[in-house]
Amino acid sequence: MDNQIFYLIYVLAFVIGSIIGLVLSYKKYTEPFIRKNIDITALAIAIIGWLLALNFALIPVIPYYISITMGVFLIAMVIGMRPGYGRYETVIGFAVAGIIWILRTVLS
Amino acid sequence: MVIEFRIKKCRHIITLNLIGEKKMNLMADILLNVTVAFLVGSILFGLQRKVMARIQMRPGPPIIQHMLHTLKFFIKETVFPRTAAMPFYVAITVILCAIWVAAVIIGPVTHGPLLLLFAIFAIHKIVEHNAGSSSGSPYGKLSCVRAVFSAAAELPLFAVLIIVFIQTGTMDLNGIIAYQAEHGALLFTLPLTAMMFIALIISKSYYYSPLNITLARDIVSGFETEHFGTLRGFIMISEAITWYMLLWIFLTVFLGALTPIEYLIGMVILTAIVGLINAVTPILNPNHSIMTEVTLAFIGIVGSLLMIFFL
Repeated sequence: MDNQIFYLIYVLAFVIGSIIGLVLSYKKYTEPFIRKNIDITALAIAIIGWLLALNFALIPVIPYYISITMGVFLIAMVIGMRPGYGRYETVIGFAVAGIIWILRTVLS
Repeated sequence: MVIEFRIKKCRHIITLNLIGEKKMNLMADILLNVTVAFLVGSILFGLQRKVMARIQMRPGPPIIQHMLHTLKFFIKETVFPRTAAMPFYVAITVILCAIWVAAVIIGPVTHGPLLLLFAIFAIHKIVEHNAGSSSGSPYGKLSCVRAVFSAAAELPLFAVLIIVFIQTGTMDLNGIIAYQAEHGALLFTLPLTAMMFIALIISKSYYYSPLNITLARDIVSGFETEHFGTLRGFIMISEAITWYMLLWIFLTVFLGALTPIEYLIGMVILTAIVGLINAVTPILNPNHSIMTEVTLAFIGIVGSLLMIFFL
C-alpha cells in the first residue's frame, strides 16, 4: 500500500511538472521549435532531474521517495515543454544520469 | 465483573475498528488504483500520439494532451441534443465509467477471476452500441451498427480466455500468476495467443487504429460524437482506464507478477509499438478490419492448440 502511494505521488509529480513546464515554456518561447538550440536552463533541470531519479542512492540524507518525486517533477518539466523543445535536453540528461548509474552499480 | 465488562467492551471496540480499517484500506486501494489507472492511461495516450507524430516528422502534442483534453471537457457546457434518448443518453456514460472502475477492482485491486474481466469487455461492446444509438446522431448510429458488426472480432478475446485456461487450468489471476512463477511466462509458451491479444489491443486503441471501426475517423468520433461537456469527460476518463487495463491484463496474463516499475516499462513499450503500427497502417474499412481480426484469431487459435497438444 505504501509503495502504491509513492507511485501515485510520482505520477502526480509527473503530471504537475508537465503542466508547469508547458506553461513556462509557452511564456519563454513564443515561436514554434525551429532553431533547434539547446536551452541551458532546461538542460540543467533535466540533468538534475534524471540524476535525482536514477541515482537517489548517492544522496542518503534525503529519503529516496523525496529524491525520486523531485527528480520526476524536474524531468516532467523538461519533457512537458512546448512541442519540440526539451527533447535534446532530456536525452542528454538521461545519458549523463545513465552513465553515472552504470559507473555506480555495474562497474563499482 | 466490572473489569471483565470493561475488557469485553474494549475487545468489541477493537474488533469494530479492525473491520472498519479493512474496509477503509479496500476503499483507499480502489481509489488509489483508479486514480493511477486514469493518470497513467492518459499519459500513455499522450505517448502514443507523440510516437505517431515523430514517425510522421511532426513534433506532436504535449505528452499530457489527452489528460488536458479530458479535464477541459469538465469546464465546458454540457449540451443535450434534441434527438437524445433521455435518460439513457446520460446513463450510458456513467455505465461506461462504472464498468471500467469495476475492472480495476477485479484486476489490480483484488486479482479476481479473468472471466469477469472478459465479461467487462463484452459489456463495453454493448455500451459502445448503446452510446451510439442513444444520441440520435447518424455518426453515432453508424458506430452503433459497427459495434454489433465488430462483435465477431471479439473472437480472439474468448479464444485467449479458453487457451489460457487449457494451458494453466485456472481462470483466476492469482492462479495464472502462480503458474507462470513455476513454469515461466506464458508469452513464451503461448506466443500466438499473445499475438491475438495484441491484435485486440490494437483494435481498442484510441488514436487512428487500423482495426477500431467504432471510432474510425470516417464517422467523426463514432459513438462519442454527440456527447459533450461533462459526459464526454466521463467517456474520456473511461477510455484512459480502458487502455491502462488492457495493457495491465496483457502483462499480467502473459508475463506474470511484475513490479509497478516493470508494469510501467511494459506499458510504455506496448503503447510505443501500437503507436508505430497505427502511424504506418491505413485505417481499414469495417469488412477488412473484421476479416483481419478473424484471420488473426484463426491463426492464433489453431497454432496455440497445436503448440499445447503437440509440442
